[in-house]
Amino acid sequence: MSAVAQIDDVSFAHPGSELRALQRLSFRVAAGETVAVLGPSGAGKTTLLTLLDGRLHGWRGLVSVLDAPLDPDQPQPRARRADTGFIFQEFALVERSTVLRNVINGRLGRMPPLRAFLGNSSPRDLKIARDALIDCGIADLAERRVDSLSGGQRQRVAIARCLAQEPLLILADEPVSNLDPARAAEILALLTGAARSRNATVLFSSHQPELACRFAERVVGMRDGRIVFDAPAANLTNDTTAELYRETAPFSRPSLRAVG
Amino acid sequence: MRSRGLGGFAAGSFVAVAVLWSFATTDVDFSRIMSAGPRIADFLGRMIPPDPTVMDEIIKGSAETLRIAILGTLGAVVLSVPFGVLASDTMAPPALYQPVRTLLAFIRAIPLILVAMLLVGAVGLGPLPGMIAIAFHATGMLAKFYAEAIDGVSRAPISALESAGAGSLARLRYAIWPQMAPVVVRDTIFRFELNLRESLILGIVGAGGIGFYIQTYVRSFQYEKAASVSLAVIALVIAIEAFNVALRRRFA
Ligand SMILES: Nc1ncnc2c1ncn2[C@@H]1O[C@H](COP(=O)(O)OP(=O)(O)OP(=O)(O)O)[C@@H](O)[C@H]1O
Ligand SMILES: [Mg+2]
Repeated sequence: MSAVAQIDDVSFAHPGSELRALQRLSFRVAAGETVAVLGPSGAGKTTLLTLLDGRLHGWRGLVSVLDAPLDPDQPQPRARRADTGFIFQEFALVERSTVLRNVINGRLGRMPPLRAFLGNSSPRDLKIARDALIDCGIADLAERRVDSLSGGQRQRVAIARCLAQEPLLILADEPVSNLDPARAAEILALLTGAARSRNATVLFSSHQPELACRFAERVVGMRDGRIVFDAPAANLTNDTTAELYRETAPFSRPSLRAVG
Repeated sequence: MRSRGLGGFAAGSFVAVAVLWSFATTDVDFSRIMSAGPRIADFLGRMIPPDPTVMDEIIKGSAETLRIAILGTLGAVVLSVPFGVLASDTMAPPALYQPVRTLLAFIRAIPLILVAMLLVGAVGLGPLPGMIAIAFHATGMLAKFYAEAIDGVSRAPISALESAGAGSLARLRYAIWPQMAPVVVRDTIFRFELNLRESLILGIVGAGGIGFYIQTYVRSFQYEKAASVSLAVIALVIAIEAFNVALRRRFA
């Protein structure tokens, strides 16, 4: 299978930060895969997903997304940005706009610039947005303002916006960290199911190993900007994930260190 | 600690000297305040009943004050959009927004009545200097408010639209403006209310509006007429307040 995302020996430090958020990282995602990224706070999960979304600048190494290389010194062209969808940890919705408006915002990159600005969405754009609302189970909330919604409902709006964008690669940053356990499983089922039916590849980060194993085929562990394990979900043991979140000196055994 | 003690002593002495100097060199005759009671009563008594024959002047003057406030506010908005952008630290570099902010603070520090007097000298009597004065004076505050509205916008939804491939104009309209709009509308209404209140006195220096009639009637001892105009001014302020409350509720 062809690679949807390929990273070779990439290092990156956030501007103004000494610490390298990504350290000589190499990583590959095949088309159609569902991959989970686990790791303690500050491991670099958000940084990795943002890199693949084409919104980081000044990294070193090679990155290729959807069969085209990314340039670390140039903003990504508009057309390509629409092909990767990003679900933000804190939703990043426009609070004072309606649910439907927020979901249509996901289509802005698919419209000609002038039409996007003037806001006369085509019937096709509207249909795609409405279908995304139905898939996320929030068709009845279309006219509600986002600032009147619960956390779980906002998460659904954020997913619907991403689906309306029709991305080939979906990058979801802790899509269930703000939800209770039952809701979390529901949302992950929704996200991975919708992605599968659209033939989209999914990479999501999480702090919940059980959920990651349940909904992803493959699980990647990150720590200090490095990948410390990368295994099929079926092979992952509780010991491995427990070690990932331990406070000091994890993966000190030579065999595992070699992976990072 | 020692130097702070010394500083405190110096500041205290300075205040004491300033107060003593004011008493010593100003003709402060407290007996005049004591005898003012009957005179104020006489003054108020002559105001009642208000004289209804000045209705025409009231309507003409109020309309002119309202026009000065509306056009002055419009001028301030037109000026405040570019100056607000230049004074915002998300839109402008420090080399630009710092001097612009200083300029705005300087404008705010000049009293409106002084601006109006200078403009009457420059462009002559009437509502025109009043409008320009209001526009100039209000920009000092409104541009600062607009800059704060721009800087208060949350970045996350903008990044989300950028990630979706939206162009900069679409981001401005669908991520930045919806966040700014309520603040901009609220601040503009607030400033309009201030402009209206402040423009009531512009007539005193000949810059147009209803204040002109109060000034004229008081000077010519026609207190009944002055009273009618004053009551109209109070009614106008209350009406504007009610209108603004309704507007603010609409845009909350
Ligand atoms: N904008 C930024 N500026 C400076 N440093 C940053 C910035 N964003 C992240 N970092 C740093 O980069 C490192 C990786 O952060 P990142 O947000 O990728 O971690 P994460 O794995 O997503 O954590 P979490 O689970 O808390 O979301 C951390 O050390 C963090 O402090
Ligand atoms: Mg994160």
